[in-house]
Parts: sequence; structure tokens; C-alpha cells
Amino acid sequence: MRAALMTTVIAGVLALCLGLVAAFYWLAAFLGVASEALFGAGRAYIGLAVANTVTLVLVVVMVIASLLTVAERKWSSMMQDRIGPNRARLAIIPGLKNRSLGGIPHFMADGLKMLTKEDTIPAQASRGLFALAPMLAFGPVFVLFAVVPVAPAIPAADIPGIAGIASSWGVNASFPVALTVAPNLDIGLLFIFALSSIAVYGTSLAGWASNNKLALLGGVRGASQMIAYEVALGLSLVGCMMAFSSLRLDQMTAAQSAGLFGGALPAWGLFLQPAGFLLFFAAAFAETKRAPFDAPEGESEVVGYFVEYSGMRFGMFMISEFVEIVVLSAIVTSIFLGGYHLPLPPAWGVEPWIAAHWGSFALGAIYGLCFLMKLAVMIWVQLLIRWSLLRFRYDQIQTLGWKILLPLALANLLVTGVLILLDQSLDLLGIVGLAELALLIGITVLYPAKRPASVRYSGQPLAAQAPGAHGH
Amino acid sequence: MAHDPRHTPHEFHIEEEKGLTWFERLYVPAILRGLAVTTKHFFANLFGDRDPNPQVVYRKGTLGNAVSTVQYPEEKIPYPVGYRGLHRLVPREDGKPRCVACYMCATVCPAQCIYIEAGEYADDPIEKYPTTFVIDELRCVVCGLCVEACPKDAIRMDTFTHTPPEYRRDGFVYPVERLLKGPAVGYPSDPWVKRPDSKQPPQHVPFHGLAKHSTEPVAPKAKHPVGPAHPERPVFQEADLPKPLAVNDPKR
Repeated sequence: MRAALMTTVIAGVLALCLGLVAAFYWLAAFLGVASEALFGAGRAYIGLAVANTVTLVLVVVMVIASLLTVAERKWSSMMQDRIGPNRARLAIIPGLKNRSLGGIPHFMADGLKMLTKEDTIPAQASRGLFALAPMLAFGPVFVLFAVVPVAPAIPAADIPGIAGIASSWGVNASFPVALTVAPNLDIGLLFIFALSSIAVYGTSLAGWASNNKLALLGGVRGASQMIAYEVALGLSLVGCMMAFSSLRLDQMTAAQSAGLFGGALPAWGLFLQPAGFLLFFAAAFAETKRAPFDAPEGESEVVGYFVEYSGMRFGMFMISEFVEIVVLSAIVTSIFLGGYHLPLPPAWGVEPWIAAHWGSFALGAIYGLCFLMKLAVMIWVQLLIRWSLLRFRYDQIQTLGWKILLPLALANLLVTGVLILLDQSLDLLGIVGLAELALLIGITVLYPAKRPASVRYSGQPLAAQAPGAHGH
Repeated sequence: MAHDPRHTPHEFHIEEEKGLTWFERLYVPAILRGLAVTTKHFFANLFGDRDPNPQVVYRKGTLGNAVSTVQYPEEKIPYPVGYRGLHRLVPREDGKPRCVACYMCATVCPAQCIYIEAGEYADDPIEKYPTTFVIDELRCVVCGLCVEACPKDAIRMDTFTHTPPEYRRDGFVYPVERLLKGPAVGYPSDPWVKRPDSKQPPQHVPFHGLAKHSTEPVAPKAKHPVGPAHPERPVFQEADLPKPLAVNDPKR
């Protein structure tokens, strides 16, 4: 019953995403044609940028981030054998009076609550910086999505209806349409590193401007944690940069459509760089400041840098965390999980077949759907980790960053460099990567679980002992 | 202190903390195993149907759904036998209260929450009856002494409900109209049954047992309507109850 319902819902979400991606393509092409008509030939990029900013950043990222506020609680409840939020109702809509809708209306209730709560500012706070901090936490993470390629470039003329509109406006629809806000940014990953580091200012300023010792300590914890993981974060991706010979995410994604071992396996970053994947994921997870790396916040016990914030200012910190989740998932998907490519061996030739039979527009829409699905899976994995692991102690965080991740990243860099030098076709790198993955999975599955026995009876079994002999 | 021979030091020992094993120090496999546990719960609860059985330990959801929440207003855990709920004044077969206004309950009540005024039936010079019988449910400490003190089995606490919430304090002062409810109880020994002009059939309702009956008010003249503030009583069946453990059960 519930299984059928859930399967239907998931299928519906898939269909919705497919339609959304197609609509995004169409809107981008339409605005591109319009801007060509308005600003002259060759100015389609203005319309494309506007369309992609609205659809990708505001619709995809913002809507997913808002829904994540519900998903976090609902999914955590499922992982913990609870029911989760299900009391908010859309009672104003007649048919939905007594339907919980899976708890989804809660995000509207949350938003309403955030907006209507009193916005308190401590009397001794530094007011300007206090107001600036949430914006500095909020803004940069949005910008990161600009370089993420959601779906590849297709000719605008392939999108149905666009050629007709273009000819009726006297414009030549010959420009490519890609679902990327900033498609040709050569610095690519460096842009991500640079802007993700700005978020630390939000943390530190929030702690400092609150004029609260606990908030200041939280801000300092956050700053030192983010600095500790910044190095490992960058180094862990250098292997991928070498393997794909690019800094641009769209080129890295395109490079992953190539096949390893003659097309038997897609050349995903995960297969080429499993160690890099784990290191990057751990480091980026620490950058998002979520459990198990949430020592800077520690809402429940060691109150953190946003302890003095309330209302929508706090909401901005919270939403920026969820946006970070989305962006991190998008980057991991683009670099390690083949981006928008179908998770199929290139040797099967599915993608060229779709392009030949259904057209490049259909292929683009399927690519976008594929990207969104991978994005959703990675988001889910992050929440899974967040609800499975306990918070690291502060010294453990620093130890992990400096003493484990950093040396491992350097070693990975060395090994990757040698392997690429030996074999330019990346097959050797793939063999070593698959061996690493097999080793990891083998140890995980095969190593016998042993429960620690802190108290162990010696000698005879319990039943054989004299009654009362083990007593008080 | 003399050496107790039962305390031989080699009987058990506490192992020293040895730190983590090499497997645990790898972290990632252990984390993956932990994630597998969480994932299993997630999908079992996502795709499986929840069993709403209010006895949580007996729940068996499909596909391994193990949600243990009781959705309170919709689902209620049945109260155990002998639960002391809201009082009721037990009616006779003719709808009058069994109470003979003997003041035993009011006297024994440690919270002094019962107030009685006695009167006489015009057609019956033998038994008294309460012209006023008031229980302040806010003062009541739910000790059940009134039930034990009553010589006529006229007050019981077998309604299996809480005192419902009220907006005013005087709403918690229950008059006879709100207290007189539930099934009638009669005994062959009841004097009004034994009298030659009695038309009431002798009937025996056991004192102990479950409330398998409706406990709706008998008198339609109740001042306070039965509505949302007076929720339905739990449907209470013996099969729902946890099985008592056997005497030799090791879990006892």
C-alpha cells in the first residue's frame, strides 16, 4: 500500500523534474532569442544568464533548500523509526483539510514563523556586522552554483518552438543553450574554492558581532575548522583536475563520458579517484559545518556562533546550510559521479542512440533529469551521514583535518600523478581506483564485527557459578 | 572487615580500555556499516506500512516498518485493568443512582473533594438518596478510596477516561447529572429489589471486570454536552492486553 504510494510519488517527482528541465531549456532559449532581438545579434548570453539564474539558482537551489528543511526532519524520523512532522495542514484548500501531505506543508509554516518572529539584536552587539554576517553566510553559497553544469549545451534551434519564434522576430537562433549560469568560466573550481572560503567570514563575524562569549567561541571554532579543511579540500580535487585536465566543471563532466577499459565503465571521478572522493566529501562536509562536524554550532549543547540570532537572520544561516548541501551535492555529482551523464557504460551507446532517435532536446532533458537525480541521491547521503554519526570532539576535528586528510590528500596526489604519467589513457588510474574501492568494500563487508566486551567473566560460564557468587 | 569468600577477586575482571582495533581505526568501513543500518531503517519505514496497534511491542509493520510512535489523539494505548479513571455514579435499573447518601465516600476522601446532601424519596421511606452529589475533579487525587468505601457499589472509577479539559474551573465540579452514567448495576441483595412491590429484575453484574459497555450518560438532561472536549473512550479488548508472564518465566 505505502510501497505503491511511494513508488507513485517517486515516479511523479521524476516526471516533474523531466518536465522542469525541459521548461528550463525552453525558457532559456526563449529569453536568449528575446535578448538577441532586443540587444542585437550575439547578445543571447544576457537572456541565457537571466533565465539560468532564475531557474537554476532561485528555483532549483532555493526550492530544494526549502524542501530540505522538511526532508531533514522527515528523513531523520524514518531513520530513527519515528513518524516525523505531519501536523501542518493546508486547511484553506478544500480537499486538503485533513491531509498531512507527508509533512511538506511544514516548510511553509516554518517560513511563516521565521518571517514573523521577533528579530532581536543584543544591545551591545555591533549592529552593522551583526546584520552583515548572515548575508555573508548566505550569499556566497548561492554563487557557487553558477559554475555547476546542470545540463549540457544544445543548439537553440533544436528546442521546439524556438526556431519559429526566432524567425518571426527576425533573429537567428544559432546560439547554444546550456543549463549553467556561468558556462564559460575558465577558473571553474578555483572560483568555488575562493567563494566557499568567504563563507567563513559570515561565521566569524556572527560570533564576533554578537558580543557574546559563547558565540565568539563558536565563531572561532568555525573559523579554525574551515581553515583546517580548506587545504585538504583543495588538494583532494587536484587529482581530478589532473585526470580530467581541466578546472572547468563542464569540461570535467564532459570528460567523464569517456569510457575506461574500452567503454566498459564510465570514467567517473569516483572510479578514478575513490580516495579523492572520500577526502573531498569529508572535507566539504566539514566546510558545511553540519553533524558530525557541527562543533561550531552545537545548537543543543555547546551553543555556537548564531546563538544570538533569531527570526529570519537565523533562518538565513539555516537556509545557507541547506544551500551548501545542495551545492556540495552538485559539485560532487559533477566531478565524481559523471555529472549529467547517464550511469551506463559508454560502450552501450545509449546516449548517442537517444540523440539520434529522439533529438538533442530530449537528450538534454534526460541529462538534466539524471543530474537532478544524482543530486538528490547525494543530498540524501549527506543527510544519512548527518543522522548516523555522532559529533566529533573538537580535537578530533583538527586531528582529522591536519593529520589524516591532509597527508592522505598529498599521498593521493602523488599516486595519481605517477599513474597518469605512466598511462595517459587513465586505464591504470581506473584499475588502481577500482582496487581501492574493492578493498574498501571488501573490508567493510567481510571483516567480522566484534563487539567490545568491557566486562568479561573469567573461568566458568555464568550458569555454572554458585548462586550469589557474582553478587554484591 | 573479614574477607568474604564469595568475593574471590578472579571471578570477573574489567578489561582495560585497549583503544580501537585496526579495523575501527580505518573509520570508513565502520562508518559505512553504520550508514547501512540507517539506510535499512530508512527504506523499511519509507516503503513499509506502519502498524497502528496501540500495543507498540506487538507491532508488525509490513516490509520491516518499525515505527513505534503512537499518534496520540487518533490512537490511544489502552489502559490496564483496574485503571482508575473518571468517577461515575452507578445507576440502578430505573436510572436513579444506587447511592444512598451515606457519606462514607465523602468521609474517607483524603482530598475532601466529594460533597453530598441527602434527601428522601417521597414514595420510599427507607433509602435516602443524594439531592446533591458533587465531585470536584480538580481536587480529586484519584486514590480510589471512595470506590472501596462505598457499601452500595454506587461509585466506580471504571470509565477508562481522564478528566476532560475545561475552560473554567467550575467545569471540573461534576454534579450528579454528569456523574450518573454507564450501565446499571443491580444485585439480588439490593433492598429495593427484595421488597414485595419491586418490579426490578434481579440482575448481577460482576464488580470486577472490564468496561465492555458504553459508558455514555444515562440521563439525557446532562448540562454539559458530550462533544470534542469529551473524547471517545478507547475500544478496549482483552486481546490487546500484554500477556502476563508465567511464574517460571525467566524474564520475570
